[in-house]
Amino acid sequence: MDQEISFNQVTHTYQADTPFAQNALDKVSLKIAPNSFTAIIGHTGSGKSTLVQHINALLKSTFGEIEVYGRQITPSTTNKNLKQLRKHVGMVFQFPEKQLFEESVIKDIMFGPKNYGASDADAEKSAVKAMKLVGLDASLRDQSPFDLSGGQMRRVAIAGVLAMNPEILILDEPTAGLDPHGHKEIMDLAQGLHDHRNMTIILVTHQMDDVVDYASDVIVMDRGQVVKHGTPSQIFADPKWVYKMHLDLPSSGEFATRLIRAGVPLEKTPLTIENLADEIVHLIQGGNHTDE
Amino acid sequence: MKDIIQIKNISFNYPDQPILFNNLSMNVHEGEWTAIIGQNGSGKSTLARLIDGLIVLKSGQIVVDDLVVNDDNIFDIRNKIGMVFQNPEDQFVGATVEDDVAFGLENRQVPREQMHEIVEKSLKQVGMWEFRDRIPANLSGGQKQRVAIAGIVALSPKIIILDEATSMLDPRGRQDILDLVYKIKQDNHLTVISITHDIDEAAGADRVIVVNKGSIVEEDKPDNIFGDISKLKSIGLSAPFTSQLIMALKKRGIDSPYQYLNDKRLIAWIKKLVSTK
Repeated sequence: MDQEISFNQVTHTYQADTPFAQNALDKVSLKIAPNSFTAIIGHTGSGKSTLVQHINALLKSTFGEIEVYGRQITPSTTNKNLKQLRKHVGMVFQFPEKQLFEESVIKDIMFGPKNYGASDADAEKSAVKAMKLVGLDASLRDQSPFDLSGGQMRRVAIAGVLAMNPEILILDEPTAGLDPHGHKEIMDLAQGLHDHRNMTIILVTHQMDDVVDYASDVIVMDRGQVVKHGTPSQIFADPKWVYKMHLDLPSSGEFATRLIRAGVPLEKTPLTIENLADEIVHLIQGGNHTDE
Repeated sequence: MKDIIQIKNISFNYPDQPILFNNLSMNVHEGEWTAIIGQNGSGKSTLARLIDGLIVLKSGQIVVDDLVVNDDNIFDIRNKIGMVFQNPEDQFVGATVEDDVAFGLENRQVPREQMHEIVEKSLKQVGMWEFRDRIPANLSGGQKQRVAIAGIVALSPKIIILDEATSMLDPRGRQDILDLVYKIKQDNHLTVISITHDIDEAAGADRVIVVNKGSIVEEDKPDNIFGDISKLKSIGLSAPFTSQLIMALKKRGIDSPYQYLNDKRLIAWIKKLVSTK
């Protein structure tokens, strides 16, 4: 299989060979399937961001190999060999609008493709397509990106990444600071790219409701290691373990644990509000579980 | 109760931009926790910057603790207000946590001995004293916000304004910071204004002001504001979790006399339903 991402015993040491050496990744092995929607969760400092930065080789491993769509990255891979790889892996950082710099929306989005050698005409074509993809109105193309709202600026930044036609899109906390409406827009955009463009989406997040609502796979990081990899229901099945990892349950699960503590005998940890409502109705109509 | 902030008929627009506030008035009651909610671009943060005199009004007047916001009073007013922003990194100046908290005091020429005392007390209040020698940039998001709050507490303001201060934190980190600010508010008899689009955070406030496109849509107690979810949705906000659950139960034939309950009351209601059936 060359259509996937795999990590084989990858270790990344920050400040190697100094007294401050610290393993941010510690012998990580994992596989991410093509066209999956994978969420990466873990408390601050668990290695999430370090992990994803290896996928487009922004960081190189200290030991171990990574394979991305048939391309190998090892500690000795030179930057020259990475350019093609980076074209396939789009990376949207936290607060990506901070990286906008051009005088117009269209120029900002064209920057990426041009950087990879596209002609002005081709870059513009990709940029126009990317604008449409992220739902930016064509009338905005000649405006300064800095006159746009926060949510729109973020979409310009994402369009800049999409204009390079990546197969894999890495989103690092893409909705931080957005209001509920903007939040939903960006997450629905990610889902659309996954469902209709067959992109592989990798989402770094600490919003467990998004994990449940959008992801099919979840990787849990703790102290530089992958401690669990499974579906959302497998990951959240054991609330005690989730808390031990300094993570939260989705809102419905959180509320369910409070109901249980108050004496409402729910049996399972619900992942969504619909699950939770079903369970409550079941208790009301079904068996009389509580003693009078 | 005194109105510690009075906003009287203000108008404002950014250069070359359409009018944002047109004759807007509102008050903030002393000692209360007021949540100002609204979409991105609704003018919430601009309001905070006007109160702190960071930007200047076109017309109207803002009074903070009996002082009119103008050039003469600006320093006195800023001494009364502590602002916590979304990204504390934008505010860090000190090389260490301790230096950073001391910065505001140095600026106000507080004597050295007294300064050390205040810094220690402030960092202890936010639980960051053990981190005093650390580099602020290397702390976690929640820890950074704690340091930013210590820097504010050190200057003993009367008003704390949280401008989306918890939006970058995970749910638990968010609750920790809110609990901390609440405790500081109670201990020091402060007024808190929280600018947020987190509906569940606003649900815990004494009073909620809903802003949309530069106008006040509603101001009331959370229970009354959240009684009508359709209104919140129509301006791009979401319903509180408890309202969503009540709706989901309604769809399944469990009728509720309420559209909104706070967490505790909803739990009590569900418990009653389950045990009486």
